[in-house]
Amino acid sequence: MMRIPLAACALLCVVSFAADNTSAGDRPIARIDHFIEQTWEQADVQPAGPVTDSEFVRRVYLDLVGRIPTPQERETFLADQRLDRRVHLVDLLLASNDHAVHFADLFDTLLMGRGRDRDYRDRRKHQWRAWLERVFRDNRPWDDVARQVLLARPESPQDRGAVWFLYERENNHQEIAEAIAPAFFGIRIECAQCHDHMLASEIEQRHYWGLVAFFNRSENTKTKNGPRVKESAIGGFSEFADLSGESTPNQLTFFGAGVVDEPRPAADEKQEDLPELYIEAALEGDPQVPRFSRREQFVTRIADGHPLIARAFVNRMWAILLGRGIVHPFDEMDSTHEPSHPELLDWLAQDFRDSGYDIRRLARMIVLSRPYGLGSRRPDGVDDPALFAWYLERPLTAEQLARSMQVALHGSFRNEHPLFRQLRRTFPEVLPDTVGTRIDAALFLSNNPAVTTLISDSREPSHLVPRIRQLESPTEQVSLLTETIFGRPPTEEEISQIAGYVETAGDDEPAQRRRWEQVVWALLTSAEFRFNH
Amino acid sequence: MSNHRTPPAGAQTCGSSEHTLHRRLFLLGSMAAGCASVASYAGLFSIPALAEQTRRDGKKCILLWLCGAPSQFETWDPKPGTDTGGPFAAIDTNLPGVQVSQLMPRCATIMDKLAVIRSMKTEPSEHFQGIDLMTRGEKPRPPFTRPILGSVVAEQLGQLDSPVPQFVLLDPCPEGNEFKAFKAGNWAGWLGAEYGPVRAGGEYSIPDILRPETLSETDHSDREALRRFFSRKYQNEQRSEAAASYNAAFERVKGLMSCAPLFDLDSLPEADRRRYGPGAFAQHALQARHLIENGSTFVMVANGMPWDNHVFQHEMHQMLVPELDNVLYQLVTDLDERGLLDDTLVIAMGEFGRTPWLNEARGRDHYPKAWSLAMAGGGIRGGVVHGATDELGIDVAENPVDNHQLFATIFTALGIDPDESYDLPDLPTFYHVEGDATPIASLLV
Repeated sequence: MMRIPLAACALLCVVSFAADNTSAGDRPIARIDHFIEQTWEQADVQPAGPVTDSEFVRRVYLDLVGRIPTPQERETFLADQRLDRRVHLVDLLLASNDHAVHFADLFDTLLMGRGRDRDYRDRRKHQWRAWLERVFRDNRPWDDVARQVLLARPESPQDRGAVWFLYERENNHQEIAEAIAPAFFGIRIECAQCHDHMLASEIEQRHYWGLVAFFNRSENTKTKNGPRVKESAIGGFSEFADLSGESTPNQLTFFGAGVVDEPRPAADEKQEDLPELYIEAALEGDPQVPRFSRREQFVTRIADGHPLIARAFVNRMWAILLGRGIVHPFDEMDSTHEPSHPELLDWLAQDFRDSGYDIRRLARMIVLSRPYGLGSRRPDGVDDPALFAWYLERPLTAEQLARSMQVALHGSFRNEHPLFRQLRRTFPEVLPDTVGTRIDAALFLSNNPAVTTLISDSREPSHLVPRIRQLESPTEQVSLLTETIFGRPPTEEEISQIAGYVETAGDDEPAQRRRWEQVVWALLTSAEFRFNH
Repeated sequence: MSNHRTPPAGAQTCGSSEHTLHRRLFLLGSMAAGCASVASYAGLFSIPALAEQTRRDGKKCILLWLCGAPSQFETWDPKPGTDTGGPFAAIDTNLPGVQVSQLMPRCATIMDKLAVIRSMKTEPSEHFQGIDLMTRGEKPRPPFTRPILGSVVAEQLGQLDSPVPQFVLLDPCPEGNEFKAFKAGNWAGWLGAEYGPVRAGGEYSIPDILRPETLSETDHSDREALRRFFSRKYQNEQRSEAAASYNAAFERVKGLMSCAPLFDLDSLPEADRRRYGPGAFAQHALQARHLIENGSTFVMVANGMPWDNHVFQHEMHQMLVPELDNVLYQLVTDLDERGLLDDTLVIAMGEFGRTPWLNEARGRDHYPKAWSLAMAGGGIRGGVVHGATDELGIDVAENPVDNHQLFATIFTALGIDPDESYDLPDLPTFYHVEGDATPIASLLV
């Protein structure tokens, strides 16, 4: 059954190599292409054509560094004559600080959820944010990242931010469990609180309460080293009742793993919290550590080597970069959600483990793969997004939008700009299951002073509107406009529309400026800017 | 819970829209409470990819939500001169033989338009559970969340293409003890957040509904025309559904902005405002009339949780009941005079009643066993008193009415079939009203 598609695919892979200018050394990328092309063959679909360099550069900047490129960055790339210029660009971007910041934005939302302004301040103040950026800057292995977050026992002061994942959840052990399952295992377990998961029956109620039990001896504490999550050596035994009222002890266990043995005191037995149950922490001043630490047991006996840690991560990275998980939704990897490409998922997970959980290598492979390099217009006759037969457009996150608006207007950006806060409220979604726009977002963009003022306040000579007004001909002016904002030249129709509108101002200079500001607003709020495509 | 069908592999949910919601809530974090439920003004304005553009000629409903639970003794079911009756007298009404508390002189003159149930008998005696039951009509069945009455009515009778919000909550007060917690929860349930209420009133207004001051009207509409030109071009060239939804949202901005005056209390006639009386509850009842007249389908008027008078019940009710009396009188009379009463159901109720006896602080405590509520218009027959309590108001003496029967009656009056099931793929079968409750025939027109 495999032979014919494989042979056909091998041929396609060669073609795609030539087209994408990837070097022959990138065998793993060819593997990805192979699995994807195989399903195109099987479904008998013709994928979208390859994306142009001009489109690719906007796309890959948004996906890897969280913003559109500046005109200079764009021109530099387009002037690059090397056949493997995309490889060079991807490597350049992945090594940049902007990449670390962008991925920290994404993973902050994926791991912590959106927060109030105060939560964002606290995440910075307590080094969560800096730690997360360091993870991506230093390309730390994902299994290490998981370990540090789940153990929450920093071995050096610079890793203290890792405790914030547990700490922000303020001793709410169910909330902790419900966050860990999707964040690191790609599954949702809320359903299993009161009963075994009704549809994905492999997720049992004992898994829910088992995961809670691994963390229910944890308690927030403030130390001279900062916030810490201490752990008790005793307690945390309870029973959970199912819908029929039958009680079961909460053993230390989790989905896809065995039971960690722990002596269970009798119901009437009172445990004593003795000093000898503890040892000193790695850092002086940190809370003592129980000799038998449930969190440590979870890390060493459950999480380490758990197959879902790698699978969930590669699936999520795929979703981040290709707009949809191989399992969709990306955080419901249970038996009711079959992968669209099971072999690809297996292979990616294995490759990720073999590479030492190398995040950057994974991201690099995906953005250099053939499906990533396809045009974003859905080809005729193809309607299943799970075929990845075209690049799935996706809305910019609040952070991507806040940065890109600044880049368009100023040619540079500040990560501290108030626009981030304002847009986070309006566009909280990251990796939404379906894309829809609420009226409040349209109202915000139409009427909130935030965007309008940002445009009208951008009056430095280097800013967009003043630069446009330095130019003579409408063609030059509109070209600068669309090149800067959309990364493409204008059409004739666009030139005449815009020139016609601006002309209505006559010789009135302030009126001309105002006209250009309205034009800039129209482009910044248009769908072409709003989406990555 | 044995009724589950197994969905095909790759189905989108694991059996409950709650679960999808959970993910959203998680990703949205602490903003979720605001975004997903009651504080959301996005409410009915979300643009579904393929909106069902059916315009339905439905009825409308105003719920005066008397949160905290008023006393039946000081309102609709007075027991003057008894041990439980309290200090207030009963007065005659324009219905022969029917008396109400002396605190309700105005409603006494329109009893022929009102329908009173004196035999409400429900189970929960705590606020949160009571509020949950009496706004949703059913006890919880986790993990599923039944939508509240306003969401169901908006979904069934609302006009999706109307620029006017279909379900509005007017509540000036973010607080309200258990009601506050309830407000933070999921109101629209399995219908989805787009059927949640638009929240306005008091400090709550629809953000960004007014044009920025720095922009002229011409600039505002010019730039939108330019935006539409660029954005449609992208939508067409890409054949992008996401862009279509994005553009559709902008298409509704102008309509919504045109609704801004509906939410401006100052725009209402001064004489009307005086007639309804001072205070947020009264003013919002007037605003509810205004919204209904202008195309809203369900308006819920609340004011925190003022009725929970565990302390000095009589003194508190002496202030609260006359206000309710006047507001209900004005509202029903107005709707009647404007020819709207036949199509607008007005409901005045809380989550339960109050104890026949007083506690040590001279308060009445929670009492779900025998309590009263009132309705008018919108398919409900006026001049009817349904059910009765015993001499001291300790228990229902005839025709007990539970939440099922009440909701069956409300839905039937509004022209919604109580026995119809929700169209929910991947969920168990849920009906508008569970069980085999029959509507109260004597209350229906």
